[in-house]
Amino acid sequence: MLMNIILLILAAGVPYYLVLEKSQKLNSEKIFLISGFLLLCAIVISSFVEGQYSGLLVIIALLSAIFSIYKATKTTNFYKFGYYLLFINAPFFMLFIREQGVLYSLSLLITLAGVYSIAKHYDKYYGSANYHGISGTTLATPYVGAFLTVYLITLALYPPFPNALFLLSNMIKEETTLLWYIVVVVVFFGNFMVAMRVMPKTVFGTPNTNLHYVDLTSKEKIMHFVIIISLLVLSIIGFKGTIA
Amino acid sequence: MEKIILLIPGIPLVIAFILIFVSKKEHIPKVSIMLSSMIALLGLYGTYYVITTDESIHGFGGLFVFNELSAILVPYVAILGLVIRKYATKYMWDEPGYKRFFILLNFIFSAIYMLVMSNNLVILALAWQLMSISLYLLVSFNVASKSAVKNGSWTMLIHKGADLLFILAVILTYQTFGSVDLGQLSQTWLEMSKNPTDNPTIFVIGLLFLVAAMMKSAIVPFHIWLPYTSEAPTPVSALMHAGVVNVGGILLNKLAFLLLLTPAVLNIAFVIGLFTAIFASVLMLVVPDIKRSLGYSTAGQMGYMIMEVGLGAFSLAIYHLMVHGIFKATLFLESGGLIRYARHDPNIPQRLSYKLFWEEKTEHKSNKTFNLIALFTILPLLIFIGVKMVLSEEFFEFNAAIVILAFGWLTGTQLFLSFFKVSRSDSIKVILALVSSFIIILFTYEFIGLALEHFIYGEHALLFYGAATLNVTIIMSMVALAAIMIIGWLFMYKQHFVGIQKSKMPKRTQWLFYKLLAKEAYVSDFFIKYIKIFKKG
Repeated sequence: MLMNIILLILAAGVPYYLVLEKSQKLNSEKIFLISGFLLLCAIVISSFVEGQYSGLLVIIALLSAIFSIYKATKTTNFYKFGYYLLFINAPFFMLFIREQGVLYSLSLLITLAGVYSIAKHYDKYYGSANYHGISGTTLATPYVGAFLTVYLITLALYPPFPNALFLLSNMIKEETTLLWYIVVVVVFFGNFMVAMRVMPKTVFGTPNTNLHYVDLTSKEKIMHFVIIISLLVLSIIGFKGTIA
Repeated sequence: MEKIILLIPGIPLVIAFILIFVSKKEHIPKVSIMLSSMIALLGLYGTYYVITTDESIHGFGGLFVFNELSAILVPYVAILGLVIRKYATKYMWDEPGYKRFFILLNFIFSAIYMLVMSNNLVILALAWQLMSISLYLLVSFNVASKSAVKNGSWTMLIHKGADLLFILAVILTYQTFGSVDLGQLSQTWLEMSKNPTDNPTIFVIGLLFLVAAMMKSAIVPFHIWLPYTSEAPTPVSALMHAGVVNVGGILLNKLAFLLLLTPAVLNIAFVIGLFTAIFASVLMLVVPDIKRSLGYSTAGQMGYMIMEVGLGAFSLAIYHLMVHGIFKATLFLESGGLIRYARHDPNIPQRLSYKLFWEEKTEHKSNKTFNLIALFTILPLLIFIGVKMVLSEEFFEFNAAIVILAFGWLTGTQLFLSFFKVSRSDSIKVILALVSSFIIILFTYEFIGLALEHFIYGEHALLFYGAATLNVTIIMSMVALAAIMIIGWLFMYKQHFVGIQKSKMPKRTQWLFYKLLAKEAYVSDFFIKYIKIFKKG
């Protein structure tokens, strides 16, 4: 039980980002990295823990996720967007069978690594990771637009990307309860709404004429390409798991 | 050798991948069309194989199948795909994102082929979702347009709802029947249909699949995404109206044996389909925007299609969606050319349809045409009915057939009256026309609809009509049919047979009714007001 509570704190957070955001000692990028690192720790620790989580812990994670969905609809910052998504998905980590939950969380982390790279690009060329006013990237910076579209589609739980495949695999294999249905519906739509509301403000729209758009450098392109390849490899694993 | 046909869903993905590396703009459509032709050829070969050997082609561990349904739909989709790609070659030339368009087009075609050829509910679920996201990106292709993106978001939201319901239905199916293999499931469902039991879980599964299909097929109240997405490029509109909206019908055909077990779901499908057919067709006449009008027209046709499914006429739904798809795709793809001709010639362009119908209207020389129609329709009908009565009475056992024919006749009549000028003096001619339209519908149903039914479902086709428990006796059906014909006749007489109507102010209730329809029953307002999740932040 104690181990499960530790995992809950690591993965689901019981939104500690609230404290960190208010203290202003850490900026959103640092909170993002800490949150990602803690989830990574949870993934590693979970491989040593046997058994299922209790319903109560899943409910706590779900409440935390609902709050994070609300927070995510208020932000236009890629770093914040990233760590909110980590907490939105925590109930899946808690609810699913260990191995599948771990793989799902891993693919989520890899996708968010892509979002983080885009955020760093924005930080470097536009002064901050805030995407407000930087619309029309599909037309102005096609590579940023294309990679961001892929990451957002992945986060919105669409195939052929691994998050959707692991989710489907889990959904078919799990024994269902009322709590299970509530979690699946809330988090399924939560991910979708949060990810898709970013698209009209970033990849779609007319390019801002007051802004000098800069597309990805070759080094950045290679990095994103590696992330996409990793996602596709996970997709193959997820597909095999789903069919099996 | 024939297994190669099962590669069809993967070929568009390969094309999309190749297109990423094509740098010359003029090579993009060439590559796309050339490789898509391969799909069409493979599809035709597959159809030939299925017809000649009477066997389905299974592969990839039973995940994919090329069966009778695929034999009909794959060549249809492939040829439609070729036409749309060819059309888009020039139409999209000056648009930013030419390559992106062709890549997305290939993704959505891959999803459609996967959906048609899948023999596994998980593959079906993946194709179902892949189609949603591809459609969203295509509808929002004109990324600089705020309204296109906003309407794309609506589309996305409704389709995501369809995705969730579909996944839940798949999970419940797996939990109830222990398999996701459609071939195996169909056998189980068929066996179960011999000893029907009242299982609420099966009803829920059927209902979830039905609602998911309705959402994708723009059935009321989920229709709102279709009339508002006409801002998408014309080839996308053609694809949406001729391909994407049809997937609901395709899904229900794939799950036909499941629906055998849940007559209540079939009845729900019939009622909602009927309502959609009437509601959307009325809105089509009222809305002031021609593109929205076309959207409602398609929604109305999808209503017909779902209604046919509700009556147990599954294969007829397939026939309907294909014919409607070809008709609508032609309308959309022809519109650009027609505008171009009209710019050069102030009169309507001299086309075959113009010569046949428009000149007929203005010159009042249609007697000969009608006599010919009468000769070639009424006479064969008499022979046909005589032969039918002598050989069997099977045809009249289907209540469903009568309902379908009544609606078919109404549509045919509407079409006739829109083509030909009618007046009081030409009553006989019009009667002949109306009867002829009914006969054409009857022959289409008998020779194409039933042939298709026999090809797809064979001996099991009759089971569906039995399952559709719309308990109407033959006399009731005949009375209803006669009532529809008389009401329709009176309505048309009032509408078309008078010369010049006296101006008359409509009543207040009529105004209110018109207002309700003109505002699209406030459904779109509801969406605008309450669904703002994509705007916040």
